[in-house]
Amino acid sequence: MWTYHPDLLAVPVPRYTSFPTAAEFDDSVGAPAFTAALEQASGDVSLYVHIPFCEKICWYCGCNTGVANRTSRVSGYLDALHREIGLVAERLPRGARVTRIAFGGGSPNGIPAVDFVRLVDALSLQFSASSPVLSIELDPRTMGSDWAAVIDAVGITRASLGVQTFAPSLQQAIGRVQPARMIEETTAMLRGAGVDSLNFDLMYGLPGQTMADLDDSLAHTVALGADRIALFGYAHVPHLIPRQRKIDAHALPDAAERFAMAAHGHALLVDAGYVPIGFDHFARPGDALARAMLSGRLRRNFQGFTEDAAPVLLGLGASSISGFPELLVQNEKNTGRYRMMLSQDRLTAHRGIRRQAEDRRRGAVIEALLCRGRARIAPDLQYEAWPLLLPFFDAGLCYRDGEDLVILPGGLPYARSIAARFDPYRKDSLRRFSSAV
Amino acid sequence: MANCDLCVVRNRAICSSLDAKELEALNAIGRTRTIQPGESLIWEGEDSVLVANVIDGVLKLSTNTEDGREQIVGVVYPSDFIGRPFGGTTGHGATALTEATVCVFSRRDFDAFAREHPALEHKLLERTLAELDRTRRWMLLLGRKSASEKLASFLLEMEERLQPPGCAWNFEDAGPRRITLPFSRQQIADVLGLTIETVSRQFTRLKNDRVIDLPSRRDVTILDHPALVAEAG
Repeated sequence: MWTYHPDLLAVPVPRYTSFPTAAEFDDSVGAPAFTAALEQASGDVSLYVHIPFCEKICWYCGCNTGVANRTSRVSGYLDALHREIGLVAERLPRGARVTRIAFGGGSPNGIPAVDFVRLVDALSLQFSASSPVLSIELDPRTMGSDWAAVIDAVGITRASLGVQTFAPSLQQAIGRVQPARMIEETTAMLRGAGVDSLNFDLMYGLPGQTMADLDDSLAHTVALGADRIALFGYAHVPHLIPRQRKIDAHALPDAAERFAMAAHGHALLVDAGYVPIGFDHFARPGDALARAMLSGRLRRNFQGFTEDAAPVLLGLGASSISGFPELLVQNEKNTGRYRMMLSQDRLTAHRGIRRQAEDRRRGAVIEALLCRGRARIAPDLQYEAWPLLLPFFDAGLCYRDGEDLVILPGGLPYARSIAARFDPYRKDSLRRFSSAV
Repeated sequence: MANCDLCVVRNRAICSSLDAKELEALNAIGRTRTIQPGESLIWEGEDSVLVANVIDGVLKLSTNTEDGREQIVGVVYPSDFIGRPFGGTTGHGATALTEATVCVFSRRDFDAFAREHPALEHKLLERTLAELDRTRRWMLLLGRKSASEKLASFLLEMEERLQPPGCAWNFEDAGPRRITLPFSRQQIADVLGLTIETVSRQFTRLKNDRVIDLPSRRDVTILDHPALVAEAG
């Protein structure tokens, strides 16, 4: 069981879906750096395609998305995306091989199914990708039978459903009403369409959510046979995500309650036979993610924990981030500017950071700690990090094994905080904090 | 498309689901074009993205790579619906390989029309999925197959696609079938990414093995369909 140490969780730390994190991006790198990295790419390449549209906008959501209410807006965006696909593909060397394509959003099923097929066709053609692994994020509220047929025909084998909670009152509170029956029907449709790895996104820490609510949602998810589960804590930050102002903050669980919910969810899912993946994902033992975890090949990327080992990720669409060994770079976020630039055949990459050797070294430590709970620490990093980690050693959350730092099972909820001690961009905030306690 | 009643691909084209009144409405947003071998299909509107319904002839879809090479990315036949965006700046062109007749629409107009006609919309989705399927087979053909597999696959596709309008081959019937290729040996070599010598050698080998016969430069008779399927890998 996990023990709650509020002082060790007092400073907010990044989720480290990349290192350096997006908070370190600036405009010193842009399209020229992106193009140069693209032209040097080799080996396996994964694509991420962002579809920033939803039928309805949920109040909690921090994603870059808008309502798909105007046909011209959607088709204008898709035209730009097709242009971007052409521009990026022609710069990618022939030796590079696209092995995975992930569609995220927003809700990729917020656009017409025929437009989605055209997109897959263009990607296949331009990137010469005849049989990549395809995955998609889906909104159960817009899963018509046409979409199930398309998922089947296109050969999508991985899907992720935004479920969040099964409790009707909580669904109301976060502006995402989707009756349990709808989720059950969607699950059945996707299984019928050949999806063999199905993820449910769930949330704890929702306003008014009780432990019983969480139990019920997890039990429902297990009963429906989800292959993967991502259990995220709801972050109420209306100053950053204005649409969250619609959510009543009075009934939000406090930090101790949130910690208890995460601990409870973890115990329940492990009990149900799931393999814990990193600090917030779970997978059935046969699933590719669980196999990657058990064989030490788990990776961290913008979509969370992944078994994807490709060294290059190309982000297509507004706000998408591309990752190369030596560069992280993000596309224009604003869909209007994104469209305008692509109408002039200009790539929109405009913010990012070069990953220096030191970034890559520290990034490897952070990724190893989050994915495997163990990392080899070079002497100079030990010298720097050990003093900052003292309270974690004292609390029995991690220990030193020769040159290695090892996170104990009870240290899992502290993994990000432990990893943050190797993040030089967080040095000041963490030092201030450690001197204060 | 002056008269859809006389259209030879009417019974298997995407518009076959429409009634007379709907066809008239579709007529109003489309145009019929006849293009000569070597001529490219372009839409003369502001919107550079178009879709086309092939009535007669064969077209190639191609793109120019940055180093100036032409890369053929697909071939379209009668009753095919070319739904992928081309023209504009994505660099795709459709060029006639034979004299060809096509009905052309702007994609936006066509999509808007389809949204109001669910039967057509459904057919549009089916056609687009079929195109994806063809794209993938093409990529596989170019990427993985040997020269003999490529040529055999190509001849099988030709056999399937060049059936007379309105009819379907009976593939159970094992009798010889004669097709007239819309391509020269050089064009076949270009399409398959092979040299003309290799293509000619493969033709001769298939002929010597009694899989095909070659009555003239452009005609191919398929003598042994199962053997050709086996050659395609």
